[in-house]
Amino acid sequence: MFLTRSEYDRGVNTFSPEGRLFQVEYAIEAIKLGSTTVGIRTPEGVVLGVEKRVQSPLLEASSIEKIMEIDTHLGCAMSGLTADARTMVDHARVTSQNHAFTFDERIKVESVTQAVCDLALRFGESVHDEDAMMSRPFGVALLIGGVDELGPQLYHTDPSGTFVRYDAKAIGSGSEAAQSELQDKWHSQMTLREAQVLVLRVLKQVMEEKLDQHNVQLAQVTTDKGFHILDERALKEVIDTM
Amino acid sequence: MPDMSAIANPQQRQFNPYAENGGTILAVAGADFTVIAGDTRQSEGYSIQTRYASKVFRLTDRAVLAVNGFAADGNMFVKKVKQRLEWYRHNHAKDMPLRSIARLIQTMLYAQRFFPYYVYNILGGIEEDGTGAVYSFDPVGSYEREACRAAGAAQSLLQPFLDNQIYFKNQTAARGYSHPAHLPLPDVLSIVIDSFTSATERHIEVGDGLEMYIVMAKGQTLPDAVTNLLPEELPSTGDGERVFVLKRDLKKD
Repeated sequence: MFLTRSEYDRGVNTFSPEGRLFQVEYAIEAIKLGSTTVGIRTPEGVVLGVEKRVQSPLLEASSIEKIMEIDTHLGCAMSGLTADARTMVDHARVTSQNHAFTFDERIKVESVTQAVCDLALRFGESVHDEDAMMSRPFGVALLIGGVDELGPQLYHTDPSGTFVRYDAKAIGSGSEAAQSELQDKWHSQMTLREAQVLVLRVLKQVMEEKLDQHNVQLAQVTTDKGFHILDERALKEVIDTM
Repeated sequence: MPDMSAIANPQQRQFNPYAENGGTILAVAGADFTVIAGDTRQSEGYSIQTRYASKVFRLTDRAVLAVNGFAADGNMFVKKVKQRLEWYRHNHAKDMPLRSIARLIQTMLYAQRFFPYYVYNILGGIEEDGTGAVYSFDPVGSYEREACRAAGAAQSLLQPFLDNQIYFKNQTAARGYSHPAHLPLPDVLSIVIDSFTSATERHIEVGDGLEMYIVMAKGQTLPDAVTNLLPEELPSTGDGERVFVLKRDLKKD
């Protein structure tokens, strides 16, 4: 059968003649529709922040979960099809627990990130007799923050299975404006509190609604306390100091 | 009608996959070094298969593993541990820390819970905090960190000696004095050499040769008393821990 140019964007396992995988590229586009998510690395730890889009006054804002714990020393924030992220976070958690079980040590941030990216590429047409696999690329990007023997680190992963380490990174719909703001304001000796405030400032700039403790979520991974999500009271405290 | 001849002449068959190849291994941890030693005789029953078969293997710049029991299982086990260490290096861009190797050995041994490797392992080396460490294992993976341990044919001869000389068991310190927590390297080496010469005298499965691996913590140098024994230094990857080997003859009778 003769394939017209546009038909290359159907199959997930077919390169176009220009060498592109359209479905992966479309998956990356899907992230640009997601809510803005920001991560900042400081010498004290990593701060992750997300915008929660509360579409209705009847919606329970606390039920929107866009920051998840991977292990005591690892956390992740997401943007895009958040349902897909559950599969990836689940994989990251299992990988991390298996590592601790087998090696009696905390897994490195880069190693979990690598494991997640390995999963991101595991899509395609499943073969008969094989376990059901993902039929399409994941439509989500993650910011994975953590602390290990190399100190606090922040990684960004996308649906192509690529991962890169960042000092500060924004993903999602407002990411372009947010990223340039981060580029202006980030410096290498930031305190954790400065990073929290910067995350909120950046989110505030790109959010349509007025930012308050209900429509954003903040989490941090620090060397001594590990991963934790700030509760609304702690969050309001940071917002008040902005 | 049952086969009457089979009932009249019962026969028994057995699958016998294991052998016991003698020899003895020993490890002692110091404050900033560890000594791991083993003799080189390999025997089965009253026959010596070889006078030189190593039972002590360097795994990384800071880990050395001694294996004793069924030699074939031991060699295979060391091979698999080394393979896992290489995979780990590729996956995590670093050498596996000693305590992680200890845990890995446990999981590898326990994975064979119902057809075990018939080996006693002693792992020695330098911990991430720079202290000397010894881990001892049973064939199915129970393990603990200790200051010293003997295993193998002459375990029952050596362990009480080490308890007395390393842990100072049944020794009362002179009034106003206390026993040291760790011995210096020259003292440990003397104890190790004496242990093996004694075991060679009293146990037929011990003898021929002695291999002693010395792992020095980062930044530590050998004392002159040890340098004079002319140990061979094994090549290491960085400027961290260093591994030396000292070889001695033991009686061959």
